[in-house]
Amino acid sequence: MLAQSTASEERKFLELKPFSDEMVVSMGPQHPSTHGVLRLELRLDGEIVREAIPHIGYLHRCFEKHAENLSYQQIVPFTDRMDYIAAMNQNWGFCLAVEELMSADPKFAGVPERAEYLRVLAGELNRIASHLLAFGTYGMDIGAFTPFLYAFRDREKILLLFEKLCGARLTYNYIRVGGVSRDLPPGFLDDVREFIDYFEPKIDEYNALLTNNKIFLERTVGVAIMDEAMAISYGATGPNLRGAGRKWDLRKDEPYSIYDRFDFDIPVGEEIPEAGAVLGDCWNRYKVRMDEMKESVKIIRQVLDGGLPDGPIVAAMKAIRPPAGEVFSRSEAPRGELGFYIVSDGSVKPVRLKAKSPCFCALSALQELSRGLMIADIIAIIGSIDIVMGEVDR
Amino acid sequence: MSNIYNGVYSVLLGMVITLRQLFKPSVTHQYPYENDFEINDNIREIPVGFRGQLHNRVEDCIVCKKCAQICPVDCIHIDARKPEKGGKMWESMNVVHLKDQTRIVGIIDGKPPKKIEPDMQFTIQHANPEGTTHPDIPAGATVKISGDKVDRIIDRKKVVLFMDQFDIDMTLCLFCGLCTEVCPTECLTMKDSLEGIEYSEFDRENLIYKFADPTLYK
Ligand code: SF4
Ligand code: SF4
Repeated sequence: MLAQSTASEERKFLELKPFSDEMVVSMGPQHPSTHGVLRLELRLDGEIVREAIPHIGYLHRCFEKHAENLSYQQIVPFTDRMDYIAAMNQNWGFCLAVEELMSADPKFAGVPERAEYLRVLAGELNRIASHLLAFGTYGMDIGAFTPFLYAFRDREKILLLFEKLCGARLTYNYIRVGGVSRDLPPGFLDDVREFIDYFEPKIDEYNALLTNNKIFLERTVGVAIMDEAMAISYGATGPNLRGAGRKWDLRKDEPYSIYDRFDFDIPVGEEIPEAGAVLGDCWNRYKVRMDEMKESVKIIRQVLDGGLPDGPIVAAMKAIRPPAGEVFSRSEAPRGELGFYIVSDGSVKPVRLKAKSPCFCALSALQELSRGLMIADIIAIIGSIDIVMGEVDR
Repeated sequence: MSNIYNGVYSVLLGMVITLRQLFKPSVTHQYPYENDFEINDNIREIPVGFRGQLHNRVEDCIVCKKCAQICPVDCIHIDARKPEKGGKMWESMNVVHLKDQTRIVGIIDGKPPKKIEPDMQFTIQHANPEGTTHPDIPAGATVKISGDKVDRIIDRKKVVLFMDQFDIDMTLCLFCGLCTEVCPTECLTMKDSLEGIEYSEFDRENLIYKFADPTLYK
């Protein structure tokens, strides 16, 4: 037993056997461009990366095992801590799964209409906040500091909105099984409208600032191409898949909640021969996110224009006690398809819970993407697949 | 050639955008020297319902332990005991909060009014025969207090259990707010004021809040 563990310990640090003129470098876990605590073991030939192996687990908090001892309501605040950049969407993904389980119960009346609208509002605002962070930190990784400040300035406005809506800035615990936790505070919709009126022209400013910047283009265009087949084989979803040219978005293709009532497009990557952009390169993955912010603004505008229906904000129920059974449900989080697999035995706690994290799938493609590139390109890749380690490790 | 042009143009475009920002007021605050909440033209109020530190108005707490049950991280520790046999069990009581931050636990004559006017008079039977709940009022005494000294009066429900311990370990708390939602008497709240947000301490012990107050019962 002891010998075994020592062997694996050894392996952990010497997974790669360097050839004579190569060297092994450990990048991370405390590295600003790894977006959390990710350690990469690099086998380098000069500056060329022969192999990059990601070591994960530094943020592992046993979410899945822990959830087996908690009631469904108590699990919701823990989902906040998976992808803490987009906590609303994580809450929502989990609640969707539980509600799907509950729908077998005739006493469960379904999520009230008003709550669905509130969820869409919160979810899309959070998508913008998440993409803003991706945009800002990507710029900073590549060497442009200004976009980072701009993105945080505008993301702060969204956080202030959320602070009014649910009382927290990062871990919202807002979307609950059967509805949402609080109704709109007074004047909230006006604040949201003010924000999107302010924010919409800003996207063009960002594009001028970073997206079409020559230096940025040189760093990202044509780098680390993840084509459609590769993205699908790795299970990469969300902007990473759409950047490869596949028009796949659960909000459109398998509409959950009330997304079928809104009119929006799904941005996909595009080939631009004069700039050299090819489907599935870093630039396209990044560009999809910029375009998605516009679509989110469109959805929010439709929610505001259509007005919210009146009614309760949470379904009336005694206890969250889904009937026995199992469910896999997925939703479109900002970083891709977030899935939850829950086995219930009819009690107040799940027997087994498994989270399918989009970041984990995207990160697993890193090894293949980075082969033969420069060290500096690794930074560009990690930023462009936009991982959050809290969700990778759970 | 067009390559050079593109490069120069896109860099200049970025410069123009940042230059425009130069003439706008700064959005960064030098916290804590420049407090976000005090700067005039950028005032940010802490919104109502902000989830700050927890606070328990113990006189309203009925020790139902619902908050401790729902807490996902089990950071609320409640210990309660039944009154001894033959011991006095307090029926519903009034807690009179005075404007000078002290309070009297007792029973007032008649029903507490909705709104307290300065010219009202309250006769309070100080409920505690052995100890005292107010530094100036002896145990068991009956006092008259005029309305201008009274801040608010709270009706306390019938006491079924005596609270010995009510500790919240704020170092473990997730600030999820679930405990405040289930509390039937709404005595457990989260502070939505500046003191609910700024509370750094040097000693971990100070972050374990002890709310139990034995003077309320004995
Ligand atoms: S706010 Fe803190 S004390 Fe209350 S339930 Fe959540 S974790 Fe527990
Ligand atoms: S839920 Fe409220 S009344 Fe019940 S024990 Fe907790 S603080 Fe007291």
